[in-house]
Amino acid sequence: MTAAVPRIRLGRVVYLGFITLVYVFLLMPLVIVVLASFNSGEFLTFPPEGFSLRWYVSFFDSESFMGSLFYSLKVAIVCTFFSTILGTTVALYVVRFSGRWREHLRLLILLPLLLPEILTAIALLFFYYNFDATMRALGLDMFVGLFRNSMVGLLIGHILITLPFVFLGISSSLYNFDMALEEAARSLGAGRFTTFRRVTLPIIKPGIIAGALLCFIISFDLFSISLLLKGIGVATLPIQLFDYVRWDYDPTAAAVATVSILITLMAIALTEKLVGLRSLRF
Amino acid sequence: MTTSTPAIEDARGQGTGSWLRDNRTLLLLLPTLGLFLAFLLFPYLNMIVMSFRNPSTSQVFAPGYTVFNYFDAIFDEDLYYLEILWDTMVFGVGTTFLCLIIGYPVAYHLARTKSRFQNLLYAFVLSPLLVGVVVRCYGWIIILANQDGLINSTLRKYGIIESFIPLMYNTFGVGLGLVHIFLPFMILPLLGAIQSIDPALEEASQSLGASRTKTMIRVVFPLSLPGVQAGTVLVFVLTISSYVIPILLGGLNVMIMPTLVVQQLLDAMLWPFGAALAFILSVTGGLAVYFYLKFTSHFMKGIA
Amino acid sequence: MTKLTINGLVKRFGDVVAVDAIHLEIDDHELVSLLGPSGCGKTTTLRCIAGFETPTAGNILFDANDVVGLDPEKRNIGMVFQNYALFPHMTVHQNLAFGLEMRGVAKTTMDERIAKVLETVQLRGLGDRYPNQLSGGQQQRVALGRALVIEPNVLLLDEPLANLDAKLREEMRFFIRHLQKRVGITTVYVTHDQAEAMVISDRIVVMFDGHIHQIGGPKDIYSRPVSREVADFIGLSNFIAARVAGKDGDGGYVLDSPLGQLRCDYADSLDDGQAVTIMVRPEAIRLEPAKPAAGTSNAIPGTVLERFFLGNIQGYRVTCEDDVMLQVQAEPWTEFSVGDSLWCVFDVERTWIIRD
Repeated sequence: MTAAVPRIRLGRVVYLGFITLVYVFLLMPLVIVVLASFNSGEFLTFPPEGFSLRWYVSFFDSESFMGSLFYSLKVAIVCTFFSTILGTTVALYVVRFSGRWREHLRLLILLPLLLPEILTAIALLFFYYNFDATMRALGLDMFVGLFRNSMVGLLIGHILITLPFVFLGISSSLYNFDMALEEAARSLGAGRFTTFRRVTLPIIKPGIIAGALLCFIISFDLFSISLLLKGIGVATLPIQLFDYVRWDYDPTAAAVATVSILITLMAIALTEKLVGLRSLRF
Repeated sequence: MTTSTPAIEDARGQGTGSWLRDNRTLLLLLPTLGLFLAFLLFPYLNMIVMSFRNPSTSQVFAPGYTVFNYFDAIFDEDLYYLEILWDTMVFGVGTTFLCLIIGYPVAYHLARTKSRFQNLLYAFVLSPLLVGVVVRCYGWIIILANQDGLINSTLRKYGIIESFIPLMYNTFGVGLGLVHIFLPFMILPLLGAIQSIDPALEEASQSLGASRTKTMIRVVFPLSLPGVQAGTVLVFVLTISSYVIPILLGGLNVMIMPTLVVQQLLDAMLWPFGAALAFILSVTGGLAVYFYLKFTSHFMKGIA
Repeated sequence: MTKLTINGLVKRFGDVVAVDAIHLEIDDHELVSLLGPSGCGKTTTLRCIAGFETPTAGNILFDANDVVGLDPEKRNIGMVFQNYALFPHMTVHQNLAFGLEMRGVAKTTMDERIAKVLETVQLRGLGDRYPNQLSGGQQQRVALGRALVIEPNVLLLDEPLANLDAKLREEMRFFIRHLQKRVGITTVYVTHDQAEAMVISDRIVVMFDGHIHQIGGPKDIYSRPVSREVADFIGLSNFIAARVAGKDGDGGYVLDSPLGQLRCDYADSLDDGQAVTIMVRPEAIRLEPAKPAAGTSNAIPGTVLERFFLGNIQGYRVTCEDDVMLQVQAEPWTEFSVGDSLWCVFDVERTWIIRD
């Protein structure tokens, strides 16, 4: 009687080794950034010089960085709020009520995903400028500056880019929704709105939460849109970091980056805890 | 004595007599639709119009229209702009190809693994995407920097090299960064496609005598073509429109279209010309994708 | 032509023992069914034979060679999967050619063999179709053809008819049986459908919870089930708890039961006072309105609880002494009503004993 012995073959070792290398490749820059932020030396060496928090001190002391951090958070929160509401309402419409327009509407809403972010940014840049020019020509001076170089203009860009993600998440929950649940509620006497509030909404809540968190993360990290649409004198964190890193290798940037990673990881962990990471599949 | 009944629709589906009330579901659609029409479709059309405007040295554009923006771009005496367009496309194809061959085994493994680390591995693939491109580029800068980067300083410290190896501000650095940033965008669609392939098909292939490698080539890969298509198109489009990575990792040594366009917009203030360049890039990319999709659909009989 | 031997096969998944030390020998040319409810280990056993699962212990011999540890593609098996697993991106012809290509068969020979197999499975002329252009029954036959065209040592089928509708399933049973007899290949067939197993098999292996309860021909399994589970799984049964009272003169036993004294023919030896279960099939019971002649065995009085008409039989449920309920299948023209008192009569030869 022979016992089965697992065979260790060269092919399998190479295969798994390669895959491990790829995962290392994917995560290495992130790990390095975090290491550099705690490194006491100005440049990351192997082995690292020593442990220090001086770069974090430098970060929290820096007015420009802290300012941009809060600005980014502000923009991300407001963007998430509007994007989630708009994304949910439009998803409801498209899945349930749009009839033969469904595929056309889907395509329209997914356009910002399909078009390069930089092009959308450029298009909005031109549009805001022309809008101001038109307003001035019409004598409606109160509207000048409404979008161009303003937070409103920036927010609109963020909302456009993040809305498709919210839409995708919620529409997939809605596609899989068993209408019999709503029919049961109606048969028991609940009106349309009550049914929505007590039955539909709680069930699609995971999709909404996942969409909102994804929206927050994406908005926080957006670059091209923020670069072109931001106001004078303000910056989002990615822009501030970009400017700093272009000319300087000071690991204050590493501290900034690590804090950024931390915020993202917290949002991911929150998603996992509330609704499971798989909801982020799109 | 009438008893009140709950508000149910008239059995014949009759409306309430008011168009607004009957179509109140449109309220769900209109804000978003308005947003998209006003701030997406219209601005894009406006951008095309902008590319036909006259350029100006004192403001972003001058009155009047012209086609010379395009002429100047295409028929420039050094073919400078066409050369940059070509370089951009080469980066696109190269990055896409590398992402495909690196990403495919990873996607296959993740799709078929039964290990309990599956969720963790999925997070590993997803997290870089969610961290932001500037942070990831910065990580590579720390590693690759020519003078004091991790690799160069370590190799010099242990005496393996004398002066530094140029890993940044060149094609290598930019290419590495591009592959790194866009690899998850290749893995995720592939993952979805492979997961939808019935494992019994692989077993059937093996039962008929095909080794695992042969099974991958003859059965799994052809059936995953929709995912391959999606992933390659995504990575290609992202690469040719990428601004941050070439700027941070290539500086002014590596010039590609997006960098050029932003330069025209923010530095030179030649908006019409910048718009024309952007449009040329989009059309070229769009055509490339279109023909690619047509070509690959030939191989998807029986699946898609 | 291959003899298949399984020795002490054990397969564990973590804490769960899917297959618990089974022994089985399948002769050359034989078609053996692995029959049992979901989770009994039949599919796991099949997959071990195929090589898609590695046994925790035990060996599997194709003739004299232990194949445990050998890759599936090297075992020269032909396998038919439950959902057919036809390659959707290949035509029927290409699907059939696949295994032959792996074996390096020359093109002309390949085309000949494929043409012959298409003929055999009655799919002539459909070689250029794609699987999604075929009906379920046609797809199933392509799957069969693909497994047979390579002329494997062993043919393995994993519930191949499960996805077909009832009528087609019945026809396909005969089709597979005749095909197997003609080709003469050693075959293992997994199913949970007992009628299917009975029609198709030379021998049936009945499994529960990873163990083999009984191996035998269809008639054996049906008339002389070795355990209550086997009796219950195959056809309908009536069980009566009883104790052995002693031997009778004719080589059988007399047993005491709540329904009276019963007699049964039984070859093996039983001890006096041993607790056993008497089994009698519903179709073996005759219903008689009056008490039969004295000394008739076996006869039990009862009252009709329910009756139902099934077309080819008239079914009854009869309550007897001690709240025991007997299921009876009588001829379609019997006319007892609910509440009638009657006698259930069944021959000694058709009474069976299951040891507890």
